[in-house]
Amino acid sequence: MIQLLNTILIGVTAGGIYSLMAISIVLVWRSTRVINFAQAGMALLSTYFGYEAMVQLNSFWIALPVAMIGGAIFAALVEIILMRLLVKHSSTGPIASVAPIIATLGLLGVIRAVVSMIWGGQDVRITGPLSNDGFSVGGETLVFSPLKLLILVSVVVLMLLLSILFQKTNIGLALRASAYAPEIARLSGVKVDLVRTLGWALAGAAGAVAGMLQTVNGNGNLSPDSIEFSLLLVSGFIAAVIGGLESLVGAVIGGLLLGILISFVLMYVSSALFFIAPFVILLAVLFIRPQGIIGAKAGRRA
Amino acid sequence: MHKRHNSSHIIPFILGGVVLYFISGMVDELRVYQGASIAVYVVAISSIILLTGYSGQVSLGNGALMAVGAYAAAVSHISWHIPIILSFFVAVLVAALAGALLGAAAARLSGPYLAGTTLALAIGLPSLANQFSILGGEQGLLFDVGFPPLSLGENFTQYKWFFWIAALAALIMMWLLQNILQSRYGRTWRAGRGNEVAAQLAGINTGRSKILAFTLSAGLAGLAGAMLSMTIGTVSPSAFPLALSFSLMTGAVLSGITTLGGVIIGAVVLVAIPEIADVVAHRLGSSESVTTNLPGLIVSGLLILTVLFVPNGPVEQHRARKARHEAEHNSSKK
Repeated sequence: MIQLLNTILIGVTAGGIYSLMAISIVLVWRSTRVINFAQAGMALLSTYFGYEAMVQLNSFWIALPVAMIGGAIFAALVEIILMRLLVKHSSTGPIASVAPIIATLGLLGVIRAVVSMIWGGQDVRITGPLSNDGFSVGGETLVFSPLKLLILVSVVVLMLLLSILFQKTNIGLALRASAYAPEIARLSGVKVDLVRTLGWALAGAAGAVAGMLQTVNGNGNLSPDSIEFSLLLVSGFIAAVIGGLESLVGAVIGGLLLGILISFVLMYVSSALFFIAPFVILLAVLFIRPQGIIGAKAGRRA
Repeated sequence: MHKRHNSSHIIPFILGGVVLYFISGMVDELRVYQGASIAVYVVAISSIILLTGYSGQVSLGNGALMAVGAYAAAVSHISWHIPIILSFFVAVLVAALAGALLGAAAARLSGPYLAGTTLALAIGLPSLANQFSILGGEQGLLFDVGFPPLSLGENFTQYKWFFWIAALAALIMMWLLQNILQSRYGRTWRAGRGNEVAAQLAGINTGRSKILAFTLSAGLAGLAGAMLSMTIGTVSPSAFPLALSFSLMTGAVLSGITTLGGVIIGAVVLVAIPEIADVVAHRLGSSESVTTNLPGLIVSGLLILTVLFVPNGPVEQHRARKARHEAEHNSSKK
C-alpha cells in the first residue's frame, strides 16, 4: 500500500516537471509550428544561469527567477535570430519541411558544447530550498518530501498564471489568435511577429523552471551530460504528443500521465527500462491515438 | 521525362577503387586510418541521404541502427563463430530487419513526430546494451577482423587492411545505391517526398515505399556500424552516442541531402573536423573543456549554418546557380 502511494507520488512530481517541459514545447509549436528539439538544451542553459545566481546570492528563490528571465531572453533571441532567418532562407525547396527540425537539433548541439566549454563537464550543485527527506505518516516514511510538495505547488501556480495570461488578458488573446489564425490576427492589428517572440520567451521561462526543478528533484547535481536533461528532452516531447501538441491542458495531462506511467514501470517491472519505457509509451500513443488525448485533428499522421 | 538508365555505371566505381588502391600505398598510417573512417562515414551518410533526402523522413535513429548492426556483427562472430566476412552481412540483415519494424511505425508518422520518436530511440537503445550480458555491458565486445592475410606481404599494416575492407564495402554499396536511386524505386521516393497525395494518386503505395526506404537505409547504417566497430576494434554503447547521429546529419546536410554525389564531401569534413578543432584549440592554447567540446561545437554550428544558408548543400547550390546562369544566358541570346 505504502509502495503504491509512493509510486504515485513520485510519478506525479516527475510528471509535473514533464508537464512544464511539454508546455514549453506546446507554446513554441503554437507560435511558430516548429517542434523545438533544443528546448531541453535551453532549459539546461537557463539552469546554469540559475546556478550562477545561486553562487552569487546563495538563494534558490532568487536563482529561480534569474533562470526564468535568462531562459526567456535567450529563447526570444533564438526566435529573432535563428527562426526568422530560417523562414527567410529555407522555406522552399526539398528540405523545407525538415529544415526547422535540423536547425533546432543543431542548436541543441551548440548549446551543449558551449555550456560544457564555459562550466566544464563536472557536476556543479544546486541545493534545493527545502529538505528532500520524506514525510512520516503513521510510522512509515513516504518518499514524498517537503521539496516534492514545493515542486508540485510551483508547477500548479505556474499553470494557473499561464492560464490566466491566456484566458483573461489581451496578450493571451493575441497569443491564441496568432496561433490559430495568423493572417486574420495580422489583419486585426496583432503584431504577429512580436507575439511569436513572446511565445518563445514564455516557453523559455517555463523550460527554465522545469530545468531548475528537475535538478533539485534529482540529486541536485548539474552537468551538461546529466541524464536528467536527456530525460527532459524526451519526456517533454512525449508528454506534448500525448496531450495533442496544441493544448496546454493536454500538455499538463500528458506530463502527469507519462510521469505516473514511467514511475509504475520502474517500480513494478524493471528499473532497467528507464530510457526505453518512454519510447514504448510514445509508440503506443502514436499508434492508438495519434491525435493525442485532447487534439482533434489528425495532423501527425503521414 | 521518363529516362532510361540501362547502364549500371560500374566503371567509375572500379576506377575509383584502383585510384584508392594506389593512394593507400603512398600515404602514411594516420591518413590510411582516416581513409577508413571516411569510408565508414560515406556509407553512414548515404543511409541518411537515402532516408531524408530521397524519401523525406527525418530520422535520428541511424546512430542506434548502426549500434544494432555493430552488435549483430560482433555477437554473430563471437558467440556463433560466423566468419568475419559473413558477419558484415549479418549486420546488414539484422539492422535492415530492425529498420523494417521501425519503418512500419515511421510510415504512419510525419516530420517532427518521426524525428522525436527516433530521438527517443537513439537516447534509449544504446543504454539497453548494459542489460544483457551477451552484449558485454559498458565495456562492450571485442570485434577483431584479424590480421591481413600473409599473401599481401609482411609490410601490409593492420590499418591498411581496415581501409581495404572499408573502402571496398563503401564502393560496392555506393554502386548499388546509385543504381537503386536511379531505378523506379528512386523515382517513387522522390515523388512521395515532393507531394505525397499526388504520388498516391499516381498509384504509388507511399506507405510501402517509405518502409522500403527505411529498411534499405537501416541496412546501410548497420553495415556502417559494423565497419566503425572494425576500425575501433570494439563494440560498446559509448561508440554510438547521440552526438554520432548529429554528426551524420551534419555530414548529410553538407553533402547536399538531396543528391548522392556530394556524399564524399560530408564524410571528409566529418573526419577533418576533430583535426581542425585540435589545431584551433592548440593555437588558442585553450583549456581542456574547450578542446574536448570544440569538435561538437563545430559540427552543430555547421549544421545550423548549412541549413540556413545553403539548405540544399554546397554542391547542389553551385549546380543550381550555374543552371540558372545558363538559362539566363540562353534566354538573352534569343
